[in-house]
Amino acid sequence: MTKSYDAIVVGAGHNGLICAAYLAKAGRKVLVLERRHLVGGATITEEIYPGFKYTCCSYVVSLLRPWIIRDLELPKHGYEVLPLDSTFTPFPDGRYLMRDADPERNRRAIAAFSPRDAEVYKRFGQEMAELGRLVKPMIDDVAPDPVSRNPRELLRLARLAKGVRGQGDRWLVGNAKMMTMSAVDFLSEWFESERLIAPMSVSGIIGTFLGVRSPGTAYVLLHHYMGEIDGSYRAWGLPKGGTGAIAESIASSARHLGVEIRLEAPVDHLLLERGAARGVVLENGEEIRAKAVISGVDPHRTFLKLVGEKNLDPEIAQQVKRFKMRGSSGKVNLSLDGLPDFTCLPGYGPHLRGDITIAPSIDYLERAYDDAKYGAFSKKPFMDIVIPSLTDPTVAPPGKHTMSIFVQYAPYNLKEGAADWPNQREAFGDAVIDTLSEYAPNIKKHILHRQVLTPWDLEQIYGLTEGNIFHGELSLEQLAFLRPLAGWSRYKTPVDKLWMCGSGTHPGGGIMGAPGALCARTMLEKRAV
Amino acid sequence: MAAYDVIVIGAGPNGLAAAARLAKAGKKVVLLERGDGSGSLSSLREFHPGYRVPGILHDEGLTTRAVAAKLELEKHGLKFRRAPATYVAEKGGPGILLSADDKEAAASIGARSRHDGDSYLRYRAFLARIAPVFEAILGEGPPPLTPNGLGDLLDLGRRGLLAFKLDRKEIVELARVAPMCVADFLNEKFETPLLVEALAAPAVYSTWSGPWSAGSNTNLLLRECSGGEYVTGGPAALLAALGSAAKAAGAEVRTRAEVARIRLANGKAAGVTLASGETIDAPVVLSSADPKKTMLHLLEPGSLPISIEDEFRRLRARGSAAKVHLALSGPLELAGSPGKQHEAIRIGGGHVDDLERAFDAIKYRQFSPRPNLEISVPSVTDPSLAPAGHHVVSILASYAPYRLEGGWSDEARNALGEAVLGVLEEHAPGVRGKIVASEVLTPLDLEQQLALSGGQLHHGETALDQLLVLRPTASAARYKTNVPGLYLGGAGNHPGGGVRPTAGLLAAEAILKG
Repeated sequence: MTKSYDAIVVGAGHNGLICAAYLAKAGRKVLVLERRHLVGGATITEEIYPGFKYTCCSYVVSLLRPWIIRDLELPKHGYEVLPLDSTFTPFPDGRYLMRDADPERNRRAIAAFSPRDAEVYKRFGQEMAELGRLVKPMIDDVAPDPVSRNPRELLRLARLAKGVRGQGDRWLVGNAKMMTMSAVDFLSEWFESERLIAPMSVSGIIGTFLGVRSPGTAYVLLHHYMGEIDGSYRAWGLPKGGTGAIAESIASSARHLGVEIRLEAPVDHLLLERGAARGVVLENGEEIRAKAVISGVDPHRTFLKLVGEKNLDPEIAQQVKRFKMRGSSGKVNLSLDGLPDFTCLPGYGPHLRGDITIAPSIDYLERAYDDAKYGAFSKKPFMDIVIPSLTDPTVAPPGKHTMSIFVQYAPYNLKEGAADWPNQREAFGDAVIDTLSEYAPNIKKHILHRQVLTPWDLEQIYGLTEGNIFHGELSLEQLAFLRPLAGWSRYKTPVDKLWMCGSGTHPGGGIMGAPGALCARTMLEKRAV
Repeated sequence: MAAYDVIVIGAGPNGLAAAARLAKAGKKVVLLERGDGSGSLSSLREFHPGYRVPGILHDEGLTTRAVAAKLELEKHGLKFRRAPATYVAEKGGPGILLSADDKEAAASIGARSRHDGDSYLRYRAFLARIAPVFEAILGEGPPPLTPNGLGDLLDLGRRGLLAFKLDRKEIVELARVAPMCVADFLNEKFETPLLVEALAAPAVYSTWSGPWSAGSNTNLLLRECSGGEYVTGGPAALLAALGSAAKAAGAEVRTRAEVARIRLANGKAAGVTLASGETIDAPVVLSSADPKKTMLHLLEPGSLPISIEDEFRRLRARGSAAKVHLALSGPLELAGSPGKQHEAIRIGGGHVDDLERAFDAIKYRQFSPRPNLEISVPSVTDPSLAPAGHHVVSILASYAPYRLEGGWSDEARNALGEAVLGVLEEHAPGVRGKIVASEVLTPLDLEQQLALSGGQLHHGETALDQLLVLRPTASAARYKTNVPGLYLGGAGNHPGGGVRPTAGLLAAEAILKG
């Protein structure tokens, strides 16, 4: 006997699970289908090497919306975040910069490079938090539609405009500049020391195919001042048990609300009848029907694989194809039997428990980008490193450690072609370890196991087209009402009864959860299920 | 009692246009020019005895008929002509001829890719559709960013409604493509690398960005939506017509009258002091010098509130292009187009990545070892610029930084000249043998000779955050500064640089309205 569902969610990533949970909470019968043997998508913890649990892909959390945590009662289901509150930047000349949550310590640390910057630093943080006030309501609601002629929509815009007016001119200009400037240009308006500008600028480029001098990268800096954990500003954290534990807690909450989750159930394509999605067909041929299908996978996979180009309006197909994916980053995960010993700050200390950033100068970062522009991985990459086992000892055997290294740039499209990645994977891993050992020479002798994930691997293993960790570039022309397709930013798609809830929709990627929740909200409002 | 109603600083196209417009409206205007009248980017420049270029800048076809009509320039001898075809040189190939006539250009493109030929026509049609809307919305200057009062709100509303001349799909497309990088935008449309590079290049000339920099497409759209026709006789002829119009309207033009200081009284503009010590009074001062120079150097330090002064300090005005002038004993002969003489030539590396690589150099304070060349050979249409049979070649070379690692020296300047000649020679073999004389102007030379901050040819980089309502800064985008009586009306304001008098005209109109 075939069961029938109100909705089928394709992909058990965090957004898919959140969407399913909200629909179930509203009384709908929901099935989530996952290709792999575990939930989470790119929000996972995997034991790749015995005894060591890697946060294979995404590795820190900050933007998960607090209202989602409350609505789904995630803490009851095991959600716990441990603070990660310092950033350590070693420099090749033996100096370093360490920033944390203590304003006075920061002032002293920065003053070693520039007394002027030290004074400005605090004011900068306050100003950023102010500016972030525009963006926050935007990521907690559907994207505004500036070209609509629908009176309700116009009223919404007018309200938004009134709110913007109320903030004053300086604030408005500040935001206009943030949206369009490069991270380096923006930070240079405030600071003079490159030792501060370089490590600060990198938050503008994570996951993008842009350099720190590329216009449009200043905006992402704001995200660092919007992150909140338990309502406290500017905090980034490590989930206890790795990011996979977040997915587990959402899945647990979803199951509790009645969601059915099937693992190792890869969807081959959608069941289309008269142009409408009526269900899915699994790779094993099984058909499952539902009133609506929700895709949590990226726009390319959704339209070009699940729907199929032949079933799409040619104009839509063209729009989908030009939606840029272009993965630019890789991950290297390590099992260690000892901690890195940094030449500039030897021994164990709080600097190892926070975020470690290899971003010694603007030129360094820009050269890393230049390599990628012409189809090669960065010989000297930007790296964002955390040692999760220091914060959460459960992820490694006693006395041993895991290290997560986010690496940029690794362009999906190598000049030899993306399929050449398997041949270059280890060379890429070597470049990462060699670069790290310039700062912490002992690292090589402590490595027990190394997992190298190139954008090609991210595509093969996790189904992220072109290895893009955000399901599509976060560039201005692919944001808000243009994400993923112009005119289709409200989770509905050009295919009747097919909805989207992944990071490829507004407001985009990262472990934020807003796309999944907003999709469910919109579907319920429109009585789509 | 002040002797003048308005003092205009700088006799470039913008200063002259402002003076002409104000004088015609009955204002008593004096125009003050630093040099002898030949020191502007648009002036005739004799770089070697007997060899002249009609402006350091090439005519880029940005002067519109509407602006010329407002200033009645045709009465003063201004003539428009069809823009010359741009020959896109190709190593070992025939190149592409980008005619001003879309069908002709599409045919030349179609000869190598039918897809691109058709796509070119669609691209031009899209531009033709949005250009009048751009013009309608922005023709009177940028809209008020933060409307104050009913008048501003009505202005904003009216302009907003104009956008609805386009259909929803076109507006969305415009919103999508404007913030893109020019390489992505053109790669969506064309498959011929040579064509993509050639069409992308003008979007990044004299900017601190490459074709892969986000927002560079806005430069392309703004440029392609403006004018399109050339002025007969080039920038110098435009300058002559504007000078004649200004004088006919009764404006007084004084050369060798360098302004040292803009004077304020009770926080308001009161006049200027010349370098000679002479003072001239007027309640309104309009400067067409670049915004950094005007606001940070011509004003007494400390005259501006710190937040406003900061805005101008932060304004990015880093020069990124060099100029090279060559005097040749014969025509410039291109291997890919034998027997033909082209007036406009574009030489790149053949792929948009080559243009990006040229840009990479300035990030590290170097000039491009293989610069991109935008070439004008004005003597093809005006033989009087050089001795009989000889030619003058004017080259805009991208990129060269204002701050070169180790500083600009004679050796560095020569090395830059050699890099330019090296690229040119690959397409014009034997050109070196014809060189009678040459001149290389680095961004530092441009700053020193032409009083351009940073050697920035556009008086301020054209980046998304320095365009339209933010050009040059949010507080001065509508030409009026926050110093009562002081206005900015040069290339640093909307619609920006290139050879056109529009900003000056709009600034004059802002004064008349105020």
